[in-house]
Amino acid sequence: MMLVFGVAGCFVAVAAFAVLLETPKKYMLHDGIVGAIGGFVYLFSVQCHVDAVLASFFSALAIALTSHIFARVFKAPVTIFLIAGILPTVPGAGMYRIVYYLIANDSAQCSYYLTQTLEIAGVISLAVFIMDTLFKVHLKKTVPKDTH
Amino acid sequence: MDYKLVMNTAVLAGELMLCSGAETYRVEDTMNHILRTAGTQTVEATVMMTGLVATLGGPDMEPITATKRVQERGTNLNCIMEVNDISRKYCSGGLTLEESYERLKKAGGKQHRTWIYNLATILAATGFAPLFGGGITEVGAAVLTGTVLALTHTIGKRLGINGFILDMLSSFAIALAAISLKQVIPSVNDNIIIMSSIMPLVPGVAITNAVRDTLQGDYISGGARILEAFLIAASVALGVGAGIALAGVFFRGGGLI
Repeated sequence: MMLVFGVAGCFVAVAAFAVLLETPKKYMLHDGIVGAIGGFVYLFSVQCHVDAVLASFFSALAIALTSHIFARVFKAPVTIFLIAGILPTVPGAGMYRIVYYLIANDSAQCSYYLTQTLEIAGVISLAVFIMDTLFKVHLKKTVPKDTH
Repeated sequence: MDYKLVMNTAVLAGELMLCSGAETYRVEDTMNHILRTAGTQTVEATVMMTGLVATLGGPDMEPITATKRVQERGTNLNCIMEVNDISRKYCSGGLTLEESYERLKKAGGKQHRTWIYNLATILAATGFAPLFGGGITEVGAAVLTGTVLALTHTIGKRLGINGFILDMLSSFAIALAAISLKQVIPSVNDNIIIMSSIMPLVPGVAITNAVRDTLQGDYISGGARILEAFLIAASVALGVGAGIALAGVFFRGGGLI
């Protein structure tokens, strides 16, 4: 139940965020789908007791994969799907907790969340990098350049 | 061939893409494609996050060089797609040089009315509440804080406040609104509301672009974007922190201190 609720929320939030990024109107729903997939993978991993950092990694991997597939299928730059879709994985909660514990004068918790947030940011980069590289290898073999 | 017009077209295309938040390699790629249609011997385009330089040259002509400084950067994916489309059509011969220059001049701009952006801000702030474990109460409360965010953003933009200060003010207002809301409805979890409401502000776009730029070998742009992401994150965090601290003064036990 919580999972369905969370995924629906991600879909709405990412589609709405796509409006703020001036995504072309016809791709707004696609963005929402990318975000929903990311949210689903994240929530599902967390429910299976996977660590938050690893869950973010899986989620970012799924988002990057879907974005690249959508870019090929709908003939649009990857950025259009990736930038809005990655939003559910971005460590907004971690950033908030860092400040919260900093003000509460709890330096142990603060440094724990600081490390975790940096790890999540790094893991997102890694996931995007892996997918970019994979698709570039695939691209060089089949299609001539100019379709990134 | 009108070399100057080719140069102007390429620089205009590059400027539009850079202002819209395109990755550096994409801007360079597009500019090179347009410049190469001039058929000169040397074609160079160098793009950094804050500006661009392009040169056309050959043995039988005076070299032409143009620089363009880009002051304001936002995110406008529609503009990136339009410019991409125009440059592709021009390079494949579907558009003449003059036509593409005129079409580039008209490219960009907003797609929606202001109230749609405000509605989108509210929806984006609300939608993340379930992801952080919020229930129906939190979703309802996030609508209210999202409205606060949309209001501060619209007013701030109209007053022309600097982006980082505006992020700080918005997150400050969110934190204050969320903690005040907790005083009215004690069952609501104010942490979840603040977290989901600051999501539209967090530097997700900057982080993603920073990674893609750095991995392409554009270290200057990548480094600049990482710095941008860090600054945005710091200003949002500072705003939230100030909001919580101030609320602690007003509501004894309501804030943290």
